[in-house]
Amino acid sequence: MVKIVTKQDTLREVEKKTYMSYHQDGLLDIIIGLYALAFGLGIVADKILDFSFAALMPGILIAIVLPIWIQAKRKITLPRIGYVNIGTKGSNKLFALLLGLSVAGLGVFFLFTMMTFQNGRPEWIDTILFQYGMIWIGLGAAVIGSLFAYTMGLKRLHGYGLLTLALFVSGYFLSVPFEYLLLVEGSVIITSGAVLLARFIRKYPLPKGAPHNAVQ
Amino acid sequence: MPSSDADIQNVDRLIHEPSRLAIMMQLYVVESADFQFLQHQTGMTPGNLSSHLRKLEDAGYVEVTKEFVDRTPHTALKLTRKGREAFKEYRRNVKRFIEKFPE
Repeated sequence: MVKIVTKQDTLREVEKKTYMSYHQDGLLDIIIGLYALAFGLGIVADKILDFSFAALMPGILIAIVLPIWIQAKRKITLPRIGYVNIGTKGSNKLFALLLGLSVAGLGVFFLFTMMTFQNGRPEWIDTILFQYGMIWIGLGAAVIGSLFAYTMGLKRLHGYGLLTLALFVSGYFLSVPFEYLLLVEGSVIITSGAVLLARFIRKYPLPKGAPHNAVQ
Repeated sequence: MPSSDADIQNVDRLIHEPSRLAIMMQLYVVESADFQFLQHQTGMTPGNLSSHLRKLEDAGYVEVTKEFVDRTPHTALKLTRKGREAFKEYRRNVKRFIEKFPE
């Protein structure tokens, strides 16, 4: 114990363990899975009802899903493991990652738009993007999942990224519609989150004298 | 006195105790934590944790604040500046001693 405390990476391990204990409740997984499921259902609804539900998804995430996640953390997680203020280091890294991804996404979108409206896109770009679009989505999800897994120290996000890659690559070769892949992926991730949540509630029962409105 | 003896003599004995070392390490990597969180992370009994926290508070290493979060009383714990500096110094002294330790 004495020797290991001198190593910087041991403190990093303690930091990671602290951060992971905050996310072992499975709530993040349920949110990610719900979002994928909702997106898939939105596309199915688009086709049936001829209304763009999928376009509402980003707004729904911010307006409804995020507040639900925050409340669930306050009612389920924090009464069981206690309160911790991890500080700005972790959230700064996450913010930097989100900013980087947003800038990269905007950059690609800008380039794509410029090419489209100036001289038209080269044919090979259309071939790569639209013919192999599902594979690019899978690869993108695997990369983004790994980046978040590394930043947040949640190894299971690597798994979700690889799941997306496997689903979309096999979906491409088996010609499975995009929305059905989202439904499968969302269901798997929600199930994983629900198992984690059940385990978490069993491992950390509410302490005696917990407020009556905390979830049992 | 050999320099390695001097290094180990300089080690802060208050922090050096394994339970208190675990508390200091845990509080070092966060802004603050409450008693329940610390208990879960260190695996100590409430009585044991209280006893060690009192010693660290008396030394001025840990600041204890009683507050309400969502109408529930919480005891928030954080390292003081003195506590952070003491922990850094502790790490330096132990590292120096271990580096000179023969294989």
